[in-house]
Amino acid sequence: MDEYALGVLTNVGLFSFLALSAYLLLVAGEMSFGQQAFFGVGAYAAGIGTAMWGWPLPVAALGAMALGAAAAWLVGWPTLRLRGLYFAMATLAAAEMFRILFELFHYQRTIDGELVGPDGTQGFRGIRWVLERGIEQETFLAAVWALLLVVLAAFAIVERTRLGATLRMVGEDPELAAVLGVNVARVKLGVAAAAGALAALGGALYAHHNTYVEPRNFDIMLGVHSLAYALIGGLGTALGPLLGVALDIGLLESTRVFQGYRMIVFGGLVALLLIVRPRGLLDEVAVSRIAGALRRRRTA
Amino acid sequence: MVVDLAQNTLDGLMLGSAYALLALGFTLIFGVLRRANLSYGPAIMLGAYAATWVNLQFHSGALVLALVTIAGATLAGAYVERLCFAPHGRRSRSGEAAAVASMVGSFALWMQLEELATLWLPKHLYGFPPLYDGPPLALGPLTLRVEYLAMLACAVAVCFGLHRLLNRTRFGLAVRAVVDQADAARLAGINVPRVFMLVFALASALGGLAGYLIVAAHEQVTPMLGMWSTLKGMIAMMLGGLGSLPGAVVGGLALGLIEAHSQWLFGPQYRDLIAFLILFALLAVRPSGLWAMLRRSPAPAP
Amino acid sequence: MRRTLLAAALAAFASPAAAQRLAADVDCKPARQALVYDCRIALKEAASRKPVAGADVSVGADMPSMPMAHNVKPVKAAPTNQPGEYTARIELEMHGEWALKLNVRSPVRDVIVKKIDFRERP
Repeated sequence: MDEYALGVLTNVGLFSFLALSAYLLLVAGEMSFGQQAFFGVGAYAAGIGTAMWGWPLPVAALGAMALGAAAAWLVGWPTLRLRGLYFAMATLAAAEMFRILFELFHYQRTIDGELVGPDGTQGFRGIRWVLERGIEQETFLAAVWALLLVVLAAFAIVERTRLGATLRMVGEDPELAAVLGVNVARVKLGVAAAAGALAALGGALYAHHNTYVEPRNFDIMLGVHSLAYALIGGLGTALGPLLGVALDIGLLESTRVFQGYRMIVFGGLVALLLIVRPRGLLDEVAVSRIAGALRRRRTA
Repeated sequence: MVVDLAQNTLDGLMLGSAYALLALGFTLIFGVLRRANLSYGPAIMLGAYAATWVNLQFHSGALVLALVTIAGATLAGAYVERLCFAPHGRRSRSGEAAAVASMVGSFALWMQLEELATLWLPKHLYGFPPLYDGPPLALGPLTLRVEYLAMLACAVAVCFGLHRLLNRTRFGLAVRAVVDQADAARLAGINVPRVFMLVFALASALGGLAGYLIVAAHEQVTPMLGMWSTLKGMIAMMLGGLGSLPGAVVGGLALGLIEAHSQWLFGPQYRDLIAFLILFALLAVRPSGLWAMLRRSPAPAP
Repeated sequence: MRRTLLAAALAAFASPAAAQRLAADVDCKPARQALVYDCRIALKEAASRKPVAGADVSVGADMPSMPMAHNVKPVKAAPTNQPGEYTARIELEMHGEWALKLNVRSPVRDVIVKKIDFRERP
């Protein structure tokens, strides 16, 4: 495969984890400006695991997910009773604190004559696990998308269970959910932790794809983009965020017709799209229509 | 030591008056529309870029540059309003969903305005003529920059002026009616979309004024101005209390004081860390903000 | 698809192959057009500092604050007369600090990231 196509497909996959993380919170009725923090936690944790402690990537990624979930729980616990812009600003403040802590974080070791590890604003070099195992780019790409498919399958299963219905009810009408006996605070904390783990998994893979991360990778631009992707794609199905990412990175970025004007085109398109479909392309109505059409075809 | 403390406090208040000015426009939009405009800063940046261009071409004076900045920011703000706020009226399915759509739309236009500005003037940094060329004022052992004094005066004047506008004029009455009961206001014959448009334009013009004073004090313009203005304005607004005009001034000054003192005590990285920590803690404990804490009552509508 | 997954699963727990690490010196100069830069890359073995000739290198770039979106289409670097030295012409979207990513596919697979501040022509 062409190297550029490989890079674009990998990036679409990696970004999708973050967009899905933002989507999960949106479904539960909260808008986060801070999911990039857990992406960063995952990147640093998994990088330290493989490059400095010699763990295999799957183990390091699991550890990173646990840490991402814990960090998201810590941020969510005092803030999840806030709504709207209050919650968005609280998560933004938390994420910027994480970014600055990465800037202050120095932890280096000499491995094979090279200094490896997070070095403050200089970033974290030498996350070489994928290279050292001789894993080809194609294989890594396949692994990223396989994991993404697992996540999507999990979303699809949850959507069909009572838990999925509870989630949407908490998102749309928390008072009603509380009256019906749902522990809204606990559901939201669980959602926040799961979203943190999801972002951390994306970050762990990103660090190993790039071999290098730095604090600025995880600034507010990344978080707001992922939020925008989730909303453009639509809040009706977990495929929505993927569609959002694919539209921007996959289509506009890679066609390069609009090089130099990409943001002008993309920004205008998004604003116009939101006028027509304020809950994204694949919103709840579109999804139930498509599902209905599919069901009719199956029964016919 | 005491002199340092006093000087830092003074510096913080001066820095804070820039934040207060930014927060006032932000607050006006939020207080009336209940929506956050992420493109607020980028619109200011576009105005500042327009003024930079005018300055490069004609070497105009301060008044012309200020007017160009204000006009540019107002035009860009009106564009954002037409595309991201006017179409998502309260007729939408639920107010909250429309607010999210407006906000994400304004983020999309942020990307657009920023790219437009950098295509127009592609360099990383442009100089900008200062408002005042002389030496800083000396108050005994303390120094005070005139530009910042102008900002503080403007912030107080704008806050006072807005208060009068909202409480003493027909337009203000219409705005307050829309804030309290949009549907009732519509029935009473108030053109609600027009009120929103005017408020938005007014807020963007205030942003332009803030932007001019800030770039004239910094004597430079960079593409970071958009994000910086949005972030500082939003943080100051949240610190003071969402939607309250005196809160915006209090929040701005508080942010300036926090930054000046923590920078002096711990250095620039810790300055931002502490500012965000305080914002996070305040939102977790007292989301209604500093102004409400000072008044010991819920945040008033503007 | 299933084969590559299996390979990935096996590789995940296998012992590391002793890959020779590479290092590079990169120097980029602005070309005549705005935002176009000519980069000279001196590729060498990290341990022995010996130049690496005949390598398959491509050069891409990422904007640190938008790591996956604002990137530059990778270009193949062409060898020069000097052994281990390559040139590549890259076209950026804006000035500022970029993370230059050298992707080496042969003789060994490696990725080298260099932080470079691209300024306008003085």
